[in-house]
Amino acid sequence: MSTAMNFGTKSFKARPPDKGSFPLDHFGECKSFKDKFMKCLKDSGYDSSSCRLQSKEYLECRMERQLMAREPLERLGFKDLLDPSEESKDTKP
Amino acid sequence: MLLPRLFRESLCWSKTSVLLMSTSECMCNNSLHDLVNSRSLHSFAKQVVCRKAPQRLGYQIRGVKGRRNPYTASQEEEWRKRNKTILTYIAAAGIGMIGMSYAAVPLYRLYCQATGLGGTAVAGHDAGQVESMKPVKDRTIKITFNADVHASMQWNFRPQQSEIYVVPGETALAFYKARNPTDKPVIGISTYNVVPFEAGQYFNKIQCFCFEEQRLNPQEEVDMPVFFYIDPEFDDDPRMARVDTIILSYTFFEAKEGQKLPLPGYS
Repeated sequence: MSTAMNFGTKSFKARPPDKGSFPLDHFGECKSFKDKFMKCLKDSGYDSSSCRLQSKEYLECRMERQLMAREPLERLGFKDLLDPSEESKDTKP
Repeated sequence: MLLPRLFRESLCWSKTSVLLMSTSECMCNNSLHDLVNSRSLHSFAKQVVCRKAPQRLGYQIRGVKGRRNPYTASQEEEWRKRNKTILTYIAAAGIGMIGMSYAAVPLYRLYCQATGLGGTAVAGHDAGQVESMKPVKDRTIKITFNADVHASMQWNFRPQQSEIYVVPGETALAFYKARNPTDKPVIGISTYNVVPFEAGQYFNKIQCFCFEEQRLNPQEEVDMPVFFYIDPEFDDDPRMARVDTIILSYTFFEAKEGQKLPLPGYS
């Protein structure tokens, strides 16, 4: 689809990810966190906003196991989850 | 006494005409000298004959035309000079056009980056935005996941959730699962696609598993996460006003050992 060279049609331009690629979790070290996240998703009707805490935990697991470059969680968009003094409406709806 | 004087004047006239003429000699020339010396009637008659010689007349006419030649010569030269300048201008314009057509390629690219037209990624999407962006809570978008493999690739590749509901400005995590059912390690490399195309520029991946070789050992199964967000400006774009569903599609290809593929964004 994206390679259709019609004149004037907009085509999709694939962009590389900002922080590169996740190293593969060959040993399943963070599998439990992933399962927790998937369960949360299923329970909430696949609403991402409800399961942000679990996704944060999964990413923290990855960072601990050297499966992801260490990054302050604010940079990953979890600023509201880190600061307990934030208004509760900023967290799960 | 007057008559000789008149003769002399006429002689002078004929003499000047002689000066304009070619080198052909006229017998009368000599007779002129005689006439200067002697003023006999016989020589006068001769002079009249000489004067009326057709050669002299022809020369005289040519002499008159010769007088016009210097004028036209300068005009012709002026025309030639003008033509040369015009030709120079035309040649310069031609070379200028060719140069413009070569310069148009990078100039157009710069223009597209500046204005964001033509579907190119708008420059100004930086990682610092993730920290400061605010989720747009009233706009929910459904992201549907799709997974494909190339025909010769033997992995089992599928998403672990069929859809997920996100809001712009909020980071989200999604998982794919890949399994290598063969007995040999297989290296895969993937690319992605976002439909609708215009929404693709708002779909920002923080980290994923695409564009890099992923090696799966025999009978191995891994989870592949995608960490992404939709740019909050998605809500402001009038073209995106009716977009509620975005389809994210990943395709895995088999990579040969040591093969260098041209990857977008990686030089």
